Amino acid sequence: MEDFWYEVVEVSQSIADGLLFGSTYALIGIGFTLIFGAMGKLNMAYAAAALGGAYAGLAGFVLIKAPLVLVFGISAIATAALGYAIYFTCFRFIPVNNHLASLMASVGALFFIDEVVVHVTRGSPLTFPSMFGDVYFELGPYGIRGDLVFVFIIGLISTGVLLYILFRTRLGLATRAVAQQDIAARLCGIGVHSTNSVTFAIAGVLGGIAGAMTAAAVGVLSPVMTVPLTVKGIIVAVIGGLGSIPGAIIAGLFVGGFENVILYFRGIDERDMYVVALLFVFLVFRPNGLFGTAITRD
Amino acid sequence: MDYYLNLINTIGIHTLLGLSAYLLLLTGQVSLAQAGFFGIGAYTAAIVTVIFEWSILSAIGAAMLVSGGVAFLVGFPALRVRGLMLVVATLAFSEFARMFFYNLKWRVVRDGAEIGPDGTMGFAEIRYFNNNGWLNWEVTIFLWVFVAVVMALIWWSDQTRIGAVLRAVGEDELAANSTGINVTVVKVAAMTAGGIVAGLAGSLYAHQVTDLDHHTFTVLLATFAIAYPILGGLSNVFGTLIAVLFIQGLLVEGLRFLGDWRMLLFGALIIVAMNIKPLGLFDNQTIRILRKALGVKRQRDSV
Repeated sequence: MEDFWYEVVEVSQSIADGLLFGSTYALIGIGFTLIFGAMGKLNMAYAAAALGGAYAGLAGFVLIKAPLVLVFGISAIATAALGYAIYFTCFRFIPVNNHLASLMASVGALFFIDEVVVHVTRGSPLTFPSMFGDVYFELGPYGIRGDLVFVFIIGLISTGVLLYILFRTRLGLATRAVAQQDIAARLCGIGVHSTNSVTFAIAGVLGGIAGAMTAAAVGVLSPVMTVPLTVKGIIVAVIGGLGSIPGAIIAGLFVGGFENVILYFRGIDERDMYVVALLFVFLVFRPNGLFGTAITRD
Repeated sequence: MDYYLNLINTIGIHTLLGLSAYLLLLTGQVSLAQAGFFGIGAYTAAIVTVIFEWSILSAIGAAMLVSGGVAFLVGFPALRVRGLMLVVATLAFSEFARMFFYNLKWRVVRDGAEIGPDGTMGFAEIRYFNNNGWLNWEVTIFLWVFVAVVMALIWWSDQTRIGAVLRAVGEDELAANSTGINVTVVKVAAMTAGGIVAGLAGSLYAHQVTDLDHHTFTVLLATFAIAYPILGGLSNVFGTLIAVLFIQGLLVEGLRFLGDWRMLLFGALIIVAMNIKPLGLFDNQTIRILRKALGVKRQRDSV
């Protein structure tokens, strides 16, 4: 009986840790879903840009001893710049209904960014500073890592700011208009290209924060993180429903918790297989994801 | 000499990989699952020759069967998702296959030594060609016979109703359905055929490279597989072959000038190519220009 309660505590501890870490997946998922909602296209280079921004933030830390807040800020701005560059090279000039060409181009951008990172860092993983790394709350039998709580709070704040921008500013209004029906938006005088590039930049800010968050939570930054982060970000966006921000948030937290529980039961080697299997389950039974398309496309 | 034979083998295997994606692209299904089928074929064939100690042809046959079977199973849920979601689903499948082989451990003791797939350490000692006295150029010819046969089969099918049906489904499913084509059957058949060809490619790859590592079967390989028919265009099989020659040649030559930076070049090249020619390098426009330049006339050309 003792053992059973011990298991329960361990599993719920895993879930709690996973939920906190899942906020990073939620942000990446929001980024994918924003771009899909706005253009109907998938930006495969998004997670790579997020990690690229995290590297830029790390460079700021290493070179000029920037405080952690500034590191996050540099990451956000760097990824926003990368996001704009990706928009310009992979999405701007390709016809709107040609999804495949943009997809391939963004895959090319993924390779490009990855190679640059590998060469600059010579392929070796780098340690990323973490805030509150030594803080540890104890709640009865549970222990909560301070740095995960910090990461979670940053995620909350970022999402709050994003929602404010989207629903309370003219910029957000333009973004939602273009996402809903870009022809009508154009007739209203909204510049589609400029709005889309802003969408990419906003997604980039989120991505940069998410990249820095992931690196801070894990403690290490390495180019091998790109593909798993891309796959998980896409899975989160799809499970949540492409185009839905609340969906991405909930799916991100869910995937984080789920993944950690699997880690507890099956170990790290099989963990990602189950996350992918989760995606298949959703695709078979609910291809539109949890919340379908909140930002509808015609 | 061996270096060039290796390059020719790689081109052959990648051509098969590209053709398997080509079949699916004809029906409008963008599939990143070819890397997964490739891996399944590779491991199956290797297991057959190494653990069961059967001949190479039965290994290739088994690989084609298993990959085709898995592709058939993948084909049905694939019908439920469209466009980009299919890309995501097939990408997830390839990753799943890779992780499956990452965890696969089946060690057998033969002649005092342990052989077989060893989980994270990969699958080494696939020595069928060496043990049976195959020379390097014999392997190359063997490989390319398969490539030629597959290319011929696909080219032939394009001249018959099969090709027309595939392309009809790719162009407009609703219209194809209205003319009585069973879209489900066509799409699943295309997926299965793609799986068979990719499995074939994998089985040849496993024996040519003698050492399998899960790092080969990643998103990168799946991207290569779909990049070949996209770059080569969908008009005919030779486009894919030329795309393979182009990309592999570029990577090899690029290696000489840029060393490790060749992936950078590859990434930039894809971006440029997609912006200039979003419909593929050998789309109808280019072919028309080429035909005019070479003075080749066809009966249905009005000028």
